[in-house]
Amino acid sequence: MKSRLFLLRLAMKNLFRHTRRTFITGISIAVGLAMFILIDSLLVGIEEDSTRNLVLYETSSTSIMKEDYWAEKENMPLKHSIEKPEAVIEALQPTGYSAAPRISFSGELIMRQDPYPEDGSMQTRVIAIDPSLDTEVYLLDESISRGRFLEQDEMGVVIGEWLAEDIGADIGSPLTIITRTKSGYFQTIDVEIVGLVNTPNPIVNRTGVYIPLETADYLLEMNGAVTQIDLSFPYTTDLKESTANIQSALSKLPPSTMDELAVVDWKELGKDFVALAAAKSGGTKVILFLVFLIAAVGISNTMLMSVYERIREIGMFRAMGMSDGEIRLAFLMEAGGIGLIGATAGVLLGVLVNIPMVENGIDYSFLMRDFDMGYRITGIARGLWNYGTIVSAFVTGIVLSIVIAFIPTSKALKMQVTDALRFQ
Amino acid sequence: MYKTTYDHWSKTKTRRIVGLLILTILFSAAAAPLSAMDAEEIIQKMEENQVHQSAYSEGRMIIRDRFGEKESSFKSWARGEDESLIEFTSRQERGQKILRTEDEIYLYFPDAAEVIRLQGAALRDSVLGSDLSYEDMTGDKGLLDSYEVELLEDEVVDGQPCYQIDMRAVSRDVPYPRQVIWVDKELFATRKVHKYSLSGKLLKEMRIQDYITQNGKTFPARFVVEDKMKSNSSTSFIIDQIDLGVEIPEATFSLQELTW
Repeated sequence: MKSRLFLLRLAMKNLFRHTRRTFITGISIAVGLAMFILIDSLLVGIEEDSTRNLVLYETSSTSIMKEDYWAEKENMPLKHSIEKPEAVIEALQPTGYSAAPRISFSGELIMRQDPYPEDGSMQTRVIAIDPSLDTEVYLLDESISRGRFLEQDEMGVVIGEWLAEDIGADIGSPLTIITRTKSGYFQTIDVEIVGLVNTPNPIVNRTGVYIPLETADYLLEMNGAVTQIDLSFPYTTDLKESTANIQSALSKLPPSTMDELAVVDWKELGKDFVALAAAKSGGTKVILFLVFLIAAVGISNTMLMSVYERIREIGMFRAMGMSDGEIRLAFLMEAGGIGLIGATAGVLLGVLVNIPMVENGIDYSFLMRDFDMGYRITGIARGLWNYGTIVSAFVTGIVLSIVIAFIPTSKALKMQVTDALRFQ
Repeated sequence: MYKTTYDHWSKTKTRRIVGLLILTILFSAAAAPLSAMDAEEIIQKMEENQVHQSAYSEGRMIIRDRFGEKESSFKSWARGEDESLIEFTSRQERGQKILRTEDEIYLYFPDAAEVIRLQGAALRDSVLGSDLSYEDMTGDKGLLDSYEVELLEDEVVDGQPCYQIDMRAVSRDVPYPRQVIWVDKELFATRKVHKYSLSGKLLKEMRIQDYITQNGKTFPARFVVEDKMKSNSSTSFIIDQIDLGVEIPEATFSLQELTW
């Protein structure tokens, strides 16, 4: 025990005797770990924000639709719609989840010169919403940047602000939507833009087209049918549990209605994003590994240097009669000390820089406006407090320093004492 | 005296009225085949004129839009009103085929060596970017089964007197709820068609500019389809050669043959 304390004191003395070396090695560890903490914070933060924006503006927590509609979702076939949505919403009441009926259908937007800069058309998804119920599930009404939100039964349309910029539309501009009725007839819907939305979800800003549900119901000959009923529940709710709750509530409906309904959660609805997030998670791990590798190489390099330049010292300790184990322990303690200083500084640096990252984030809007990166954030990428990463970075900094110091120390200990004393 | 004069006047008047009636009946009977032809009969006669046992044709499709003009050539085989095969021969689309059977439309792309059955919204896609959709190719089979027809006032189209017929859909299997068709009185062939949306907006106009007459049947040899919702957008179809009553092997309209 006494000898251990002596070795610890020796290690500490050596640590502060070579202040410059300790400082440089510590800085190298600190910078590597701070980078690791920051990049992890940013990547996890972006994914978290994207998921929230996907649910609140695009998919809802869970959607109920006809199985056939879900199977042919790319075509959005109106013939596969829920005939009695009010019965389904009533059956869902015991779950306590908010519900909003919607009609999603494909349409072609027609723009004509004056007021538009030039004639044009584009295929898009049009969503008919109930202006009063939709606000229970989505936050579109809070994202109106110009004009106003939709009113029931009007020939008005709300579109994404980026879409409006792209086609040269403004409040009051007319739009014609060519689509098909539930039975398949061609239909033209003449509407006027009453509002623009600017949400944190770029997909909504780039492609969102919303008309009132009653207007769509009449013009598409839906007779009260809707393509989906979207539900909202707390973000933390377990999806398996919520799906079971919904299915249990729906089981009270007549079998003919219930059997044909599919309950689809946001992970399924936003499959493209989820798959992308999973793929990016792999990429994220690679990035983090590279950051870790850079930090590890930095730490190794300085630790190797610091041990190699003291091989003569090791030879001297051995000549004075210290055992190999004691020498190794003393050097590993010293390396652990450098690791502790570096890791503490790294965590402090990472946390300090992460504060503005979490509070304000980095503005990427110039990039997100024109490029679809798959993430559902429009510009501000915010960090996140990931305590697990901070703790593991701290522990890794210390352990890595000790492990790296082990190799040159062992090599020095294998040398003849005379060779070690003459080592240049 | 007065009575005699009155009797004479009365007899003369009666004779005149009877004579007028006979004349009216005679003229009406003579005129009946010309004016009493109702809308259904006109459509029937027009369809009889357009449908043939079998036909082989070669032609071109010229697509015009704000970006310019593009020409594609094709060969086509048709049997009855339900089966047809179009094979594109122009360099860009060489080997692409469209097979129409009684209920389905299939596409074949040689580069991918793949057959695609068109259904749902895909039927609304345009044929090679033209103003004609795949669905338009399936439409207008047995108009009287799908539409209620009404004869409107005759009109002159491109200098030719035409019957004007308003057609309102009674079936839900057709894409256009209303069409107005102008039928040439002499040729009993379509001169012009207007296709409307449910809310009454004119979506497409087709005008036939030239005809080919063979074996007593008249076909459009050149026609233009305009998408009225888009400006400067039209597609011309020009039939350069048509042979009626040709022998077409049974397998021509099969999926197996499509990939050859």
